[in-house]
Amino acid sequence: MLTRLAGGRVIDPAHDRDGVGDIWIRDGRIVEAPPGNTAADASYDVSGKIVMAGGIDIHSHIAGSNVNAARLLLPERRAATGGWATFTTGCLYAKMGFTTVVEPAVAPHYALHAHLELADIPIIDKAMLAVLGNDDFLLGLMHAREGATAVRDYVAWTLATTRGLGIKVINAGGAEAFKSNVRTFSLDDVVPRYGVTSRAIVKALQQAVHELGVPHPLHVHCNNLGLAGNAETALATIAAAEGLPLHLAHLQFYGYGTEGKRGFSSAAARLAEAVNATESVTIDVGQVMFGPTVTISSDVLRQFNARNQARPRKWVIFDGDANGGGVVPYEYRVDDFYNAVQWAAGLELFLLIDNPSRVFFTTDHPNGAPFTTYPDILALLMDRDRRAEWIARLPPEAVALTTLPSIAREYTFGEIATMTRVAPARLLGLTDRGHLAPGAVADIAVYADNADRAAMFRDAALVFKDGELVVRDGDVTSIRYGRALTVRPDHDHAIARRMRGYYDDRYGISPDVMAVSDGAIGRPDPFELVPCAS
Amino acid sequence: MGDAWISGKPVTLQAACAEAARLLAASRFPLIAGLGTDMAGARAAIALARRLGAAVDHMHSAAVLKDLEVMRDAGWMVTTPGEARLRADCLLLVGTGLTSAWLELPRRLLVPATAPAGMEPGRRVVWLCPGPEVARSLAKDAHAHVEVIGGDEADLPIMLAALRARVAGRPIGKTPVPQEAIDALAGNLQAARFGVAVWSASSGIDALAIEMLCGLIKDLNANTRFSGLPLPPGDNAAGVLEACGWTSGFPMRSSLRADADAAGHDAVHDAVHDPWRFDASRLVDGGEADCVLWISAYRPAAPTWTRNVATIALTAPDARLRRPARVQIAVGRPGTDHDSIEHLAATGALGTIVAAAPSAAISVARVIADIAAALPAGV
Repeated sequence: MLTRLAGGRVIDPAHDRDGVGDIWIRDGRIVEAPPGNTAADASYDVSGKIVMAGGIDIHSHIAGSNVNAARLLLPERRAATGGWATFTTGCLYAKMGFTTVVEPAVAPHYALHAHLELADIPIIDKAMLAVLGNDDFLLGLMHAREGATAVRDYVAWTLATTRGLGIKVINAGGAEAFKSNVRTFSLDDVVPRYGVTSRAIVKALQQAVHELGVPHPLHVHCNNLGLAGNAETALATIAAAEGLPLHLAHLQFYGYGTEGKRGFSSAAARLAEAVNATESVTIDVGQVMFGPTVTISSDVLRQFNARNQARPRKWVIFDGDANGGGVVPYEYRVDDFYNAVQWAAGLELFLLIDNPSRVFFTTDHPNGAPFTTYPDILALLMDRDRRAEWIARLPPEAVALTTLPSIAREYTFGEIATMTRVAPARLLGLTDRGHLAPGAVADIAVYADNADRAAMFRDAALVFKDGELVVRDGDVTSIRYGRALTVRPDHDHAIARRMRGYYDDRYGISPDVMAVSDGAIGRPDPFELVPCAS
Repeated sequence: MGDAWISGKPVTLQAACAEAARLLAASRFPLIAGLGTDMAGARAAIALARRLGAAVDHMHSAAVLKDLEVMRDAGWMVTTPGEARLRADCLLLVGTGLTSAWLELPRRLLVPATAPAGMEPGRRVVWLCPGPEVARSLAKDAHAHVEVIGGDEADLPIMLAALRARVAGRPIGKTPVPQEAIDALAGNLQAARFGVAVWSASSGIDALAIEMLCGLIKDLNANTRFSGLPLPPGDNAAGVLEACGWTSGFPMRSSLRADADAAGHDAVHDAVHDPWRFDASRLVDGGEADCVLWISAYRPAAPTWTRNVATIALTAPDARLRRPARVQIAVGRPGTDHDSIEHLAATGALGTIVAAAPSAAISVARVIADIAAALPAGV
């Protein structure tokens, strides 16, 4: 079937394209315009509308055991957190023109669970990052100084077993330290019993991921999330990249200095400067928006320390086999000094990091805000007057501790498309997504060019997934199920035998019980393999 | 021997599924209950419930919701069977029913495992109010190192309250055991470096006692590390809870619905959760549900209600229902006849069990797919 999107303003920064033109689709892919006056089987008049590739979200907690614990803890917050159940999650993302979403924090022992949840999210493609860095096996390897090859094989085995797209490290060593009753843990602190620093864990994983040719660099959740003065930790972690790729997640939550009479201020400008100066580092923001939400994190130490801020006053702490996690409901309030600083710090990062392909668009859903707030955030980035209206509502003493009022920058459509399409595809190694050239997967979002940017991005005019129309005028018109994107880097398969012995010895089980097979998912073609660099 | 019957007469599987579809489509209030099935069966059953606008309940919902009531009222701190096995230097076993909830508990938790580097082997094991039967068996076999404090399960609430008070340094009144024993245990819990308390909501322990225990665990974490290990009931109740959670945002005892929009698409997935209203036994005995799909694939369990209701039973062979089902289909046992993904007691997570004796017996997921395919369009 040949489909034509006719006469739209096509914005494809991957190919420096911003102009009126057509997009042609055949068999789920974008194709060259056919010769002569070939008629399309289906034609859509999109004149006056904006045409972009489907959006890609690199960090959104949409599935897995910790997310499900949050659902069960907070039945009363079902509506407020948007996309609460799997079906709704897929529909709401699609309505906004997003077609690929990454769940960034899956403990290997819960990978099968996470993939079953992902399988029940309709329309979008999805992927997950496997979490290492608080697991006894890795820490044991490092303790025994087994070297980079052993770490590499273990990382590759983990990716193959869990069907992950990449590796994330969350407060490296901090969860393990918390089990030994350590209550604060920073980059150069030593994990009890193992004698390795948090920094050494991050470096070992960064190197392994890089050497395996996994497209997505190590995804780092730094130490000291949420604490005043933690910009120093983030700056030290940025410096620790040492020229190799490193992705820092939800940097806003590390954007805090100690100025002002409360000892809490925005240090986002300093972080943005460091990011601008460090080419091998990418970040996503983790923007805060005001309203009720729930924080879900595998940083169990941080969640334990935040437990008394729970609104409503109930929380779950889970000491997992490795990272575990915590669920702490929370409400960001516009009249709260700290929340106002957080809101401003996120926007400062967006606006002060020069290159939109190195700052990624996230709320760390649902930690900073539900993903359903994305259209409002896009509107804030594109409209300084809209920002000024909000700034006027914040506590003035909070505003005084940020640079936000002085920033005039407004994102263009091209920059939005770079940040939410082109750059995420490149960061994840998805060469056939995030752009609109022939050969690309026909994941396409069409928006009415509405002066109200939030309304425009909330309800896409048309969305195509794999060339099939799935959304029209903000309504889902067709339910289909996408694939999970995975990598499977080459490695020495002797590691499998070693892991079998390890699991038998420690847990009295076979590691096969947690492995994710094709047949487990219960849907046709559940996985798509993303190539690694050789 | 066949594997499908209508009103007791052998029929083809196809005919049984067609009759099941007819009954469900004609129902004004369908109910899917039992739900003793693997994850594939649970996901299929929930999707069918969504399509029919049915209520869903699990045969062990009472125990599941007892724990969940505590969790969603006050939160809790919990850990995995693996951490309890490898890391705990103090195990507090609470009440009865632990070894029936987890047959492997003695082998997994009471026998020393290979501890991670730098951790000392050996641990203190205390069993609080195990009941006389367990106390006797602990005394005479290889588990003589297990300290037993208190006897009867009925004493658990006061024992837990007394322990929590003493950990907090508050005075207590009369307890079933001498205060010195309570004080010594409180001291041992506080001295633990990583303690784990284990309980089973399938036992007689009530939600208030579980909440007291979870409060005690939180209090202990002011100064040391302690966590809880609730043992889920069988029949994959914990797995079904997870599937209900991710598909609807609610646990079982919910009513599911997909509201089609004008174009006939499932535009909205809605759900209502009410532990009283959607209790399967109440729905049937109260005359609200008029057609039940009963699922018990792990063992031939029968429903507990007394009223006669049109029933489609998907059960392990040899099920003896109180009343013959209108449609009965014998299904394979997950993990025996076919591979199963289900909640594993040994890991506390969903895992794969390879079929122990693969057979041609049909799975719950397959039967439900056939029933769904036989439903008229528009249902």
